[in-house]
Amino acid sequence: MLGILKSMGMTARAALRKPVTIEYPTVHREIPNRDRAFPILIWDFDQDEPFCTGCHACERACPVECMTVVMKDNPKHAAGESKRRKIIDEFWIDYGRCMRCNICVEVCNFEAIGMNNTWAGHELSRYDRSELVLDLDQLMAQSKAGKVEPGLRA
Amino acid sequence: MVIDQEAPEIVDIPINMGPQHPSTHGVFRMVLVVSGEKVLDVTPHIGYMHRGGEKLMEAMDFRQGIGYADRTEYLAQFSAELCYCMAVERLMDIQVPDRAQYIRVILTELNRLSSHFMFAGAFGIDAGLFGTSFTYAFREREHLQDVFEEVSGDRLMYAYFRVGGLAWEVPDNFVERVHQVLKQTRQGIRDLDDLMTKNEIFIARCQNIGNFSAQQAIAHGLSGPMLRASGVPWDLRKDEPYGIYDRFTFKVPVGHYGDVYDRYLVRLEEMRQSVDIVEQALEQLPAEGPIVPEKMPRRLRTPPGEVYARVEAPRGEWGVYLVSKGGDKPWRLKMRSPSFCNLSALREMTVGQFLADAVMILGSMDIVLCDVDR
Amino acid sequence: MILGSPSIDIDQPFFSAFLALFVMTLIMTVAVMVATWYERKFVARVQQRLGPMRVGPYGLLQPFADTVKLLAKEDLRPATADPIAFELAVFAIFVPAFLGLVVVPFTADWVISPLPLSLLYLLAVSGLSFIGFLMAGWGSDSKYALLGGMRAAAQLISYEIPLILAMIGVVMVVASADVYQIILFQDKVPLIVWQPLGFLIFLIAAIAELERQPFDIPTGESEVAGGVFIEYSGIRWSMFQLTSYVNMYVFSLLGGFVFLGGWEWPWGRDVGWGYQLLLSLGKMSLFIVFFLWVRASFPRLRVDQLMSYAWKVLIPFGLLQIFLNGLVLVYDLPDVALFVTSGLGAVLLAVLMYQTVRVEPRRELELISVPVRSAV
Repeated sequence: MLGILKSMGMTARAALRKPVTIEYPTVHREIPNRDRAFPILIWDFDQDEPFCTGCHACERACPVECMTVVMKDNPKHAAGESKRRKIIDEFWIDYGRCMRCNICVEVCNFEAIGMNNTWAGHELSRYDRSELVLDLDQLMAQSKAGKVEPGLRA
Repeated sequence: MVIDQEAPEIVDIPINMGPQHPSTHGVFRMVLVVSGEKVLDVTPHIGYMHRGGEKLMEAMDFRQGIGYADRTEYLAQFSAELCYCMAVERLMDIQVPDRAQYIRVILTELNRLSSHFMFAGAFGIDAGLFGTSFTYAFREREHLQDVFEEVSGDRLMYAYFRVGGLAWEVPDNFVERVHQVLKQTRQGIRDLDDLMTKNEIFIARCQNIGNFSAQQAIAHGLSGPMLRASGVPWDLRKDEPYGIYDRFTFKVPVGHYGDVYDRYLVRLEEMRQSVDIVEQALEQLPAEGPIVPEKMPRRLRTPPGEVYARVEAPRGEWGVYLVSKGGDKPWRLKMRSPSFCNLSALREMTVGQFLADAVMILGSMDIVLCDVDR
Repeated sequence: MILGSPSIDIDQPFFSAFLALFVMTLIMTVAVMVATWYERKFVARVQQRLGPMRVGPYGLLQPFADTVKLLAKEDLRPATADPIAFELAVFAIFVPAFLGLVVVPFTADWVISPLPLSLLYLLAVSGLSFIGFLMAGWGSDSKYALLGGMRAAAQLISYEIPLILAMIGVVMVVASADVYQIILFQDKVPLIVWQPLGFLIFLIAAIAELERQPFDIPTGESEVAGGVFIEYSGIRWSMFQLTSYVNMYVFSLLGGFVFLGGWEWPWGRDVGWGYQLLLSLGKMSLFIVFFLWVRASFPRLRVDQLMSYAWKVLIPFGLLQIFLNGLVLVYDLPDVALFVTSGLGAVLLAVLMYQTVRVEPRRELELISVPVRSAV
């Protein structure tokens, strides 16, 4: 009998506490700086081009082979405006395959790729799986718009 | 409706608890043959989650494989990562620095807490609670996952340990955060304790169900809380200490009867002991120090050889048997899964029990299907 | 319900009866929808979460959204289902619940049909619903439904007996089987004081009759498939839910009137219908909150434990209660003897409940601190 009363007392006490849930999506919770959502590319505002040179290091290191990288000769280098001889031409990441392990970020020599740490990196629902393959413009969009939070792991 | 003239045949009914379960144990199929209420035979069907993990690991080097070890044991990820890293470190004879060892222990024990919370929550649902235990347990899991997110960046698939130590340094407020979380966790353990342990109905559902003696447990190769509940005081953290577990004092709970209630009590007590271990580790944690050894090779190439490393995961003994022929990828990697070995005892435990108890017994085994099937 | 007169208007009997029943059905349907809302909110608060919040302010329109969804669902029917049993099972469960509401006196003047044996009528009618479970179980032509139906029927008829025994104890004390008279009897002291054991038995038997936790084998388990209702979809299934909540209201009202004094205690009949309604609905709410609280807190019993609890514990104690009442009444002992004997009986029941589950003495784990061997 006492055990039953103890259980009921526990539930009564819990009923008087404040609820711990929040009403997503009207309210979002704060995510920490180190949050590791999907990878995005970083824009170099000084030289107005991406940091990424297309060196294939991340593509080789990826455990699930979710990236495709194509590099080209940098026209800005020929014009003498940039130190990067090669620049990224095409870059696809399949977010459906990416396992967010952070290895691409660790091996990058140019700190050109980083793990998105904003809500935009998490709210990526699509109706079609092919829409999860993002190309270069989509990957650079957030950084180009200046919406990258400090603490981005790069 | 015309009733046939000849006497009806009395058969035992086969009941299929299909791959989709209301209880949250994953895709697992159990075919029970019952006669009235008594179970006569149980045939488990596994393999729904087999992804060829061990073969996949042969194509991943020793940093890429950590993510896969996470996904194999998805409730005790740090135990799996620890074991994998330990296997490679033993093969390459790398000494992990002290600070990294302490942080590894803290995170592994917090992970044990979150795994046992998941068990307690799902176990309450199996017993018939209307979701109350589940929400209390997940409230605590969310607090723990917040800490893990602040340290590693992810809430479930951490990929934080590396061969030789850790991937990156913990944030500055790590010690305070862990103290905070421990306070909340103690409250959570008390909540679950009050709700379930002494409840007469819960005891009536759990006592003397699925009794397993010590001899049977050892014969079936059980490990972890299931073994300890049957009366065998075997804990790898004490009997074969790995890492720095010999620096902590904690007790090992051992049951008497090996029934479902004992397993529940053992896990609940293990949670309290884990909190103790984390407190001790936080006190002993060196304030500064490297997290990878100084002479860390750039590319991890193991010398040819083989090694078997095992850890005390929340479910039992999680082991990695690594055969290397030189090179940076394993030649063969076998994961010794505790859930698979514990599940092999299902038949002997369930035959002769009531039908409703089959669900309780399965719940008390605390299996993780990704681990059973790899 | 005609205000002012405690019976239906004689001039136009059928029309008045029809109107009264129609109004009652409408009120109960809305009340059931409200019941689903506050059950979800209450259980959510116990679990430290918010419950329905999006549909309407604080989720108040959630039951309406659920009803619309269920109405729009495809009405599946198994091809091999027995047509008569399958179709009529819903009504066989649904109608007795509403029949019971006909004799419930909400206030001193408001009752659809005051019968001199209203308690007997209420208990008889609420016991009819088990046939519906059997029909649903058989007619669905499914293994799980059949097993669930058998268990539901067994549970319902087993727990009717302690319910009736508790009520017989009350009838003995009051010397009338009319709910109205029972309420009038309690103008000084509610019956819970004279019959605590009967109250406890009634409470447990009511939870079992309602098929809620911890006795919800028919609707929860049955090989984790969902019980006797698995072949029903859409609005038919919602009618089962409706019945379950209407039954909850009926039993709560019954408990409030018989044991807690209804609208009579503590203020008597002269305070006007507003206060009387407040009292009777308030006491009903106490019972409802108790049922919801129990639902959120307890796991479910196994079928054999459930049945043995009814036959080996509750029925002997029900008979004990009747025996004690008989002793007090025959030997003309003062009223307080009722309180003492029945109170002792209630304590004995509680102690027995505590003892039966303690198969072994207090279970302790052995905590071992072995000396640690050297590190590997």
